[in-house]
This record gives sequence, structure tokens and C-alpha cells, in this order.
Amino acid sequence: MNLSFSRFGIFSAAAMLLSLAAVHTLRAQGGGNAAPPATPKASAPIDLTGYWVAIVTEDWRWRMVTPARGDYASIPITPAARAVGDAWDPAKDEAAGEQCKSYGAPAVMRNPERLHITWQDDNTLKVETDAGTQTRLLHFGNWKAPQGPATWQGDSVALWETPTPPGGANARPQTPAKSGDLKVVTTHIRPGYLRKNGVPYSASTVLTEYWDLATERHLSAAFNGQQWITITTVVEDPEYLQVPWITSLHFRKEADGAKWYPQPCSARW
Amino acid sequence: MVTETAGGDRTHMNRTQYFIPAILLILGCSGLSVPAFAQFDLAGQWSDRYHEDWPERIPGPDAVDLLGLPLSEAGRAKADSWNVAVQTLPERECIPHPATYGLQGPANLHIFSEPDPVSGRPLVWKIYGTFGRATLTIWMDGRPHPSPYALHTFEGFTTGEWEGDTLTTYTTHIKMGYIRRNGVANSDRATVVSHFVRHGNILTITTLVEDPVYLTEPLIRSHSWELDPKQEVLPTPCEPVVEVQRAKGLVPHYLPGENPFIEEVSKMYGIPQIAVRGGAETMYPEFRKRIKDQYVAPAKCERYCCGWGGGGGNVNLLKGCITGGASNP
Repeated sequence: MNLSFSRFGIFSAAAMLLSLAAVHTLRAQGGGNAAPPATPKASAPIDLTGYWVAIVTEDWRWRMVTPARGDYASIPITPAARAVGDAWDPAKDEAAGEQCKSYGAPAVMRNPERLHITWQDDNTLKVETDAGTQTRLLHFGNWKAPQGPATWQGDSVALWETPTPPGGANARPQTPAKSGDLKVVTTHIRPGYLRKNGVPYSASTVLTEYWDLATERHLSAAFNGQQWITITTVVEDPEYLQVPWITSLHFRKEADGAKWYPQPCSARW
Repeated sequence: MVTETAGGDRTHMNRTQYFIPAILLILGCSGLSVPAFAQFDLAGQWSDRYHEDWPERIPGPDAVDLLGLPLSEAGRAKADSWNVAVQTLPERECIPHPATYGLQGPANLHIFSEPDPVSGRPLVWKIYGTFGRATLTIWMDGRPHPSPYALHTFEGFTTGEWEGDTLTTYTTHIKMGYIRRNGVANSDRATVVSHFVRHGNILTITTLVEDPVYLTEPLIRSHSWELDPKQEVLPTPCEPVVEVQRAKGLVPHYLPGENPFIEEVSKMYGIPQIAVRGGAETMYPEFRKRIKDQYVAPAKCERYCCGWGGGGGNVNLLKGCITGGASNP
């Protein structure tokens, strides 16, 4: 019996030492012969690709229908914004070919819609919306924005935010992180509306988003396994907002694009 | 195999006794245990932002506004029966906001932890600040939920675990209460799943309420708070008093078909009844096709047109905004 115990003791100790040595070796490799960093696509800590549907349970009266003129509830607008909103004229926007003013980056995700998210290439995540048939390109890495006029979807720079690895922020993780979020900062956006009824945002607007993914494990059998994206959205606009407008949206994953319903921009609906 | 002699059995016992701890120790040394580094600190004073649904969350929802709620027929009937005067019953005046609504309602939060005396890690997280002091206690030690027949409370029984850098909580044992402050109810079979994520000084909590009695699909909602060290969350004491003299046993309510406010939201906002009456289909984008030709927008906003809160915003800047609501700036 004692002999057996000794064998197991030796085995355990040896295994522990081997394990520690392996960990030490792995961590040491972080500063040595490291492989080239994985592409943003390969190193994605969460998989956002697929079809997603907006579930409109909040701000229903301001998202599912076009609210009345002068309805600015919940948005911390400035008096200057109110003056613009009070003068909202969808016919004028249509005549000017500006039907897409409520489909710019700070507003487009609030539309009742479906998203189709794919990798355009190793460094670019593409987000298409069926409402207004808009396309957002989220650029990772050292992407340089092209020169030119501002666009509805602006210039989006993306990065994966992952938990700090063991050893601190400067330590290189040995395997791709299995959790994290997507941070997107968008600038150079063509001025438009935060809300369909003419609540404006200016050319100075900066949009910051955090995309988080959750897979449900505590729901009943019919709903367990559902995947949800929650997007925490911060809109900063020194001209038309008194403070950053902070909202959050949620999208549920769908099996396919069977309900994809592309519709052009509308200034009224 | 336990087929040897008694002595052999003891040998087997010894192997098991030492082998399993050794393996656990090895796994721990290998960094394969749950990584503490993926967690964030929830502690602090968190100031709510009412940048969505301000009229519902602050002054309160309109009567029989069921927009965007995945209600069952029972849930709709229950909401229709609600008479706001029921809240003047002394037995009902001090009902706290239950776990199904606490984070949706007006709630600046004070979040703090109580450490495990051995590990020093949070044994519980406590979320204080929801109306009526239904303080949410999140047990982090992996304990099981009690028997389904155990005590139900407004705060319920909540366990939590880290999934990467997200804290996921699961709440059961919730007393019957409300998921919207106009009488939309949750049953005592409702459960809540919440996901907490932190981005800098912004805390976002996404909740999914599931209720086999009053909902046909999970009700998902999400809100954000900003860290505000100067905030002080005060208690919301409540003392029941007799506000209205009534005959003993009288409980204000509406019988089926007798609620006079059923069409009020339609009249006020031009939204068709098929939407106002709620149901899971009203949450989906394709529902807009059904109401496109029926919706008539009011000529101008008449009520709660400029409301929002949080962040110390100077609401006086908005004086003169088109409005008719008493609670408006």
C-alpha cells in the first residue's frame, strides 16, 4: 500500500512539474519565436457572422413607426437640435434625394431590421441591413480612411477587446481569446437624423459601439441556445447633444436569411 | 475495480484519495481553471441613463400600452384587468419593483460585494437601489437554486457565474409582480437571465424575462448605467396608509371588456390596436408591414416630448419644446 502511494505520489509530482514546465515554456514563447499574429478574422473571440433580427421591445413608439413632429423623448438634444427637428420636412428631404438621412451610422442599427454579417476579407467585417439596404464596413488593423466626402456609414475602425491575459496587459496570450467584444469607432459621417422625425446629428458626430455576444443556457428548452448580440451605443455630438446619447440594442441570431427583406430608404416610414 | 480483498480496497481508496487531488492541482497549475482575469469589478455607484423609453420609465407608461411585449392571451387579459387605483390599497402601496422589472424601472444602482472569508473573492454581489429595496443578491459560489416550492420574494433567488468577461445571472423564485408599471404582470413562475458587461465607465445589463404563464417568448431589454462616484443611492422607505376609504374587501379592477382605456394609446399616438395590444409578433420588423397603412402620425407631439434624464443634463435648455405633458421639462 505504501509502495502504491509512493508511486502515485511520484507520478503526481512529476506530472505537476511537467505541467508547470509546459506553462512556463508556453508563456516564455510570447516574447520569442512567436508566430505571426493571427488576422482579425482568425483571432475573433466571438463569431458575429450570420443573419440577425432586431427584437423591438424598447422605444417601440419611436422605432417601429415614425413619431410625430417634435417628439424628442429620451434624446438629450440641444436647443439647436430642437430647432432643426421642429422644421423637419420629409418632402423636402425626398426632393433633395436625402431619403437616407435616418439610415446613417448613428441611427441605422435602431431601425427594425435584419442584419447580415460576413467577413469581406481577413480585416473587414461587413454589416448589411435590409432596412435601407445599407452596408457598414468595420475595418480592423492599420486601415487608413480614404479621402473624400463624408458618407452615411462613415469610417469605422474596429478592434477586438479581450480580457487581460495572465501576466498583465503586455503578456501575449498563447491561444486566441474565447471571450471578448467588438469595439467600433465611427467618424466622418454624413449629417442626418438620429430619429426618423428629424432629430439631427451633425458632421462632428462620433459613434462608439461595443458589440457583445451571449448564448442562452438558462431558458426553457424551446429558447435555450439562442444567441444575442447586445450593442452598447454611445453617440457624441457637441452640436446637437447635451451629453453622450447612450443606448443599447439587441439582435437575435436566425438560422438563415429566409426573412431578409431589403427595402430602400424612406424619409417617411 | 473493487473486486479485491479488503486490503486491496484500501489500496484503491488510497489511489483515489490522492490521485484526484493531484489531478486537480495539476489542472490548477496549468491555468485550466476558471480564469479570474476575465472578470471585471462591478462595484460602485452607477447612474442610470434614460435615453430609451423615458416616458415609460420615469413618469410611467400609458394605460393599456402593451406595445412590444410578447404577451400571451392570459397576459393580455391580466393587463386589461388592471386598474391604477389598486395601487392605493395599503396592501399594495409598498410593493417593490420585482426582479422582472427592477432594472427596467427608475434605478440608480449601488453595487457592492461581500467577500468569501477564505478566498477573498466575491461571495455575493448586491445590487441596491431598485424601488422598494428589493435588493438583488447574486450568489457566486455555485450553490443550487432552492426547491420550486421554497419562498418566493420580489427580488427572487439569483446565482451568477462569469462567462468570459460577462457576468451571467439567473433568477428564480420571483413573486408575482409587474414587468411594466401599467399592470403588465409576471407570474410566480417567471425567471430572469441577465448579462452584465462593462465597457470603461459604462455598465450594460441585458435581461431576458421568461414566463410560461403571461409571455409566449422571452422579453429582452437592455439598459446602460454610467459610473458616478459622487452619486448617493438613498433608500426608498414606504409606509402604507389609507389613501382612499373603501368597503372592506374591495379591490379596484376591470372585468373583461370593461377597461375604458383600451383604445387610449391608439387615439393618442395613431397606432393601430393590433400593435397596442401586444403579442410576440409586434416585436419583429415584419410587423411593420401589417400596420403601415393603418398608422396615422399625430400632427405634432403632445406629451412627454422632450423628457430624458441622467448625466446632469440641463433640462431648462429645452423650455419651449412642443409639449403638453405635466412631467415634461
